[in-house]
Amino acid sequence: MPEFLETTVDKFTFKVATDRHYSGEGVWAQADGARVRIGLSDFLQQRSGDVAFAEVRPEGTALAFGDEAAVIETIKVNISLTSPVAGKVVEVNPVMATAPEAINKDSYGEGWLAVIEAANWEADRARLLDPQAYFELMKGRAEEEVRQ
Amino acid sequence: MNNETMNNERRKVAIVPCSGIGKTYGTVSREAAYDVTEDLRPEATQLVALSLLVLGDEAARAAVADCPAVTIDGCKLACATKMVRESGGTVAQDFAVLDVYRRHKQFKPQGIAELNEGGQKLAHALAEEVVAVVDNLTPDPSPERRGEKEGGHDA
Repeated sequence: MPEFLETTVDKFTFKVATDRHYSGEGVWAQADGARVRIGLSDFLQQRSGDVAFAEVRPEGTALAFGDEAAVIETIKVNISLTSPVAGKVVEVNPVMATAPEAINKDSYGEGWLAVIEAANWEADRARLLDPQAYFELMKGRAEEEVRQ
Repeated sequence: MNNETMNNERRKVAIVPCSGIGKTYGTVSREAAYDVTEDLRPEATQLVALSLLVLGDEAARAAVADCPAVTIDGCKLACATKMVRESGGTVAQDFAVLDVYRRHKQFKPQGIAELNEGGQKLAHALAEEVVAVVDNLTPDPSPERRGEKEGGHDA
């Protein structure tokens, strides 16, 4: 079980898992050697709303850093999610095809999107945010949205 | 006809949709409820406004307390389902618009005051699913529900 940084803004509580890195848009990346699992942060899934459909790029797809890795359709919006790592998609979470609400229920666990065989994880990791940095960014955005 | 059947005939299924204003899925839930109660099964159903249950309206509470209810929720808060139960009612079946949409991906709902074509079709698909439940809850269907034309059945 990961540990979390946590903040409550207005009536919403947001968690940031401390065992992975994040892109600024809120896609997390967790490396196990060169295999990097990706998914949505808790803030991103809560802000986006209930997921209706998730279409993840299929296995074998070559992705550059920042390429579209998945498209999520929620009750509010359609979101294009960019890859926080360059490499090849080697595994897609089968749950996304049958029960994409897993993203809302467990965004850091069962709701992962895909595993990417990284071409150069060390270089990509340097472009991502560590948990504390993402936590501060996310908290600022959440507070800004409440003010609006 | 026994007493049980007579009682069942008098019971109208309460249809309780989401009251969310300004939300597309809430509008889909209400359009589906209108479809069922006004067009598809007016003789077997009654529309109960969720807002009346929230306000504790006695007639609305009695409607769900005396009859089985079918709830249609617009989001995972499931206010319609929760309020029927809190009002002493029995939820025979609860529907969530999002679940129905997942079964009918081609009907993407948009709009709030007025649904787009996809939203209207989704509402109708949802209404048909509600009707299937209503038909199971209400015995002795009318000739129309049995697929017979009026006057077309000789004794």
